[in-house]
Amino acid sequence: MKRKDQLQFVIQNLKKHKIRTLMTVIATAMGCAFLIVLASVGFGLQQTVVEDTLEQQAVTEIDIHGKGKPEEGFQPLTMEHVQNIEEIDGVKAVTRRNHLGQVPVFLVDQHEGQTGAVSAHFPSEIASGMELAEGEFPEEPNEVLIGPHFSQALIPTDANEQEVYDEQGMVKEEYQYEGSLLGKTIDMKVTKQIDGEEETTTIPVEVTGILQEPTREWMQDRKVYMTTDLLDEIAAFTGTPKGSPVIGEGMEADDTISEVKVYAQNLQAVEGITEQLDEKNYATYSVVSEMNQINVLFTIAKAGLILIGTIAIVIASIGIYNTMTMAVTERAPDIGIMKAIGANPKTIKRVFLLESSLIGIAGAVIGTVTAYIVSFGVNLGLPAIIEASFGEELPEGLQFSAIPPMLIFIAVGICLIVTILSGVRPAKRATQIDVLKAMRREI
Amino acid sequence: MIQVNGLSHDFVLGKKNQRTTLSVLKDISLQVDKGEIVTVVGKSGSGKSTLLNLISGFIRPTKGDIWIDGNHVSDFSEAAFADLRLNKMGFIFQNFQLLPAMTAFQNVELPLTLSGMSAKNRRQLAGEMMEKVGLKAYQEHYPSELSGGQQQRVSIARAMVLNPPLIMADEPTGSLDSDTEAELLALIRQLNKEIGITFMIITHDEEVARIGDRTIIIKDGSLVEAGASV
Repeated sequence: MKRKDQLQFVIQNLKKHKIRTLMTVIATAMGCAFLIVLASVGFGLQQTVVEDTLEQQAVTEIDIHGKGKPEEGFQPLTMEHVQNIEEIDGVKAVTRRNHLGQVPVFLVDQHEGQTGAVSAHFPSEIASGMELAEGEFPEEPNEVLIGPHFSQALIPTDANEQEVYDEQGMVKEEYQYEGSLLGKTIDMKVTKQIDGEEETTTIPVEVTGILQEPTREWMQDRKVYMTTDLLDEIAAFTGTPKGSPVIGEGMEADDTISEVKVYAQNLQAVEGITEQLDEKNYATYSVVSEMNQINVLFTIAKAGLILIGTIAIVIASIGIYNTMTMAVTERAPDIGIMKAIGANPKTIKRVFLLESSLIGIAGAVIGTVTAYIVSFGVNLGLPAIIEASFGEELPEGLQFSAIPPMLIFIAVGICLIVTILSGVRPAKRATQIDVLKAMRREI
Repeated sequence: MIQVNGLSHDFVLGKKNQRTTLSVLKDISLQVDKGEIVTVVGKSGSGKSTLLNLISGFIRPTKGDIWIDGNHVSDFSEAAFADLRLNKMGFIFQNFQLLPAMTAFQNVELPLTLSGMSAKNRRQLAGEMMEKVGLKAYQEHYPSELSGGQQQRVSIARAMVLNPPLIMADEPTGSLDSDTEAELLALIRQLNKEIGITFMIITHDEEVARIGDRTIIIKDGSLVEAGASV
């Protein structure tokens, strides 16, 4: 019997019991839709978290916290380490920054403010992809870059400190520095202590560029980025490494680097570089390793959700089993006649399996369409409902439900396997029908 | 065409621990030649239908061998027997055994569909067969809309449509009136003469038995007379 004829035969049989078939298809569709929608929450939230993580950090960036084994403690990095890392294949740049050992006061146009300063190796920063909102990178020792929020650290020199700040600790609008700082010369006041006495010096620095805004709205960058020559000058004044106002224990011969970051040429290279750095006992952290952890967590969560969703399909499959068993019982005389005139048992089995598969396919298709509609509705309506009910504003771009093609393949696959399996026993029963009993209507 | 050697069949009756064996057929040996019409007669319960069911593969013998068209079918699998029934045997039953949800035409077309024939050839062959049994005008009717005689003609058309060399008939006139019975017997004789189909007809009706070239009599499960060719 040809496949086409088997299909026609099955469709003819299904049409005879439209309501029963429809109900079974609906039950299967509900099970399939439940599985997809349930798992889509896992996929949606994962997508949101991953996108959020990628937005916050450069994907090709690898942080190196130190060198050594965790049980022995990590040693800070030096220039020798940086040179070694630069030789690794796929490394685009290795940035190294040193935090100034004190928080200097900056003065400009009757405004002053205290904020952190770091020295940066600008050629490697440029190679890493650092971009300026305006201006140029420093070329002379006394030239600096400022963070985009540096001006918010400045308050008028004659202002009463208690009046200047609002409830959130921000400088009130009327006290804020107005105008651009680009090209301005700022006085940088650094101090040192000798025998308990404080000595201050003022170093004029010129702002040649302003960095771009951080990727996240809530992030603030008020720092001053200076040249390594300027840090050396401050260190020479204070007589301490990194310009600390007082010398601490073990700081006499400090050639360590506070912050080392490796930038890979592309995302694919990150994993290879990280592996090599790990082999050389560098303590690394990259967005890729964070993504791996996130993905592992979400994979477990999604597997759990799919498992729960599968239970719904299994329940629906009981309906299919019931429908198919009834079909076999009702059609026993017909099956008997067909067997008597020469229908092969395999053909009979295939016809019944095809029937349960058709119910499964119809259920999967309707369930998938329903799941897409529900998912769309959830993404559209749930944020509004939560905001209205709990008064909380949800982060922009939050996606509750996402249905990737992989989820459809998994759900449809599970749906088909379960529905076909539920048709196996009735189909086998059909092949075992006794011809004589069936023709005598004894079944 | 059919050869049966030492065929016996027992039915096991009763529940566990209380089973009894009923011997229905005892050491039957017979032969049916190609182109013959052989009628098997006997009283109700004599075992004649069991003989047909054994030869058709609906039940398996307790003992003995069966050859059909040179094939030793006693050890055939279910699937192999199904293929044999489809390709080499046709069946006519007392209660017609038509599929009620199919039209007369679809019932005749069914063996062709099972054999995997193309739709075009199926339509042509089934149409020709409907014409041969004189039911062309009734081909879109469902079995419930046909008389007993018409239903049996559909059943004959279905049995004949794949042009099998052997037709097994179990009480083919049992549900028909005398006029229809005569018509049917004439049709069987015509098909035998024109196409040379071998018929094995189970009956308890003497009128039907008379159309046979040979009559086999079974009594209490044993062969009483193998019959001589007419």
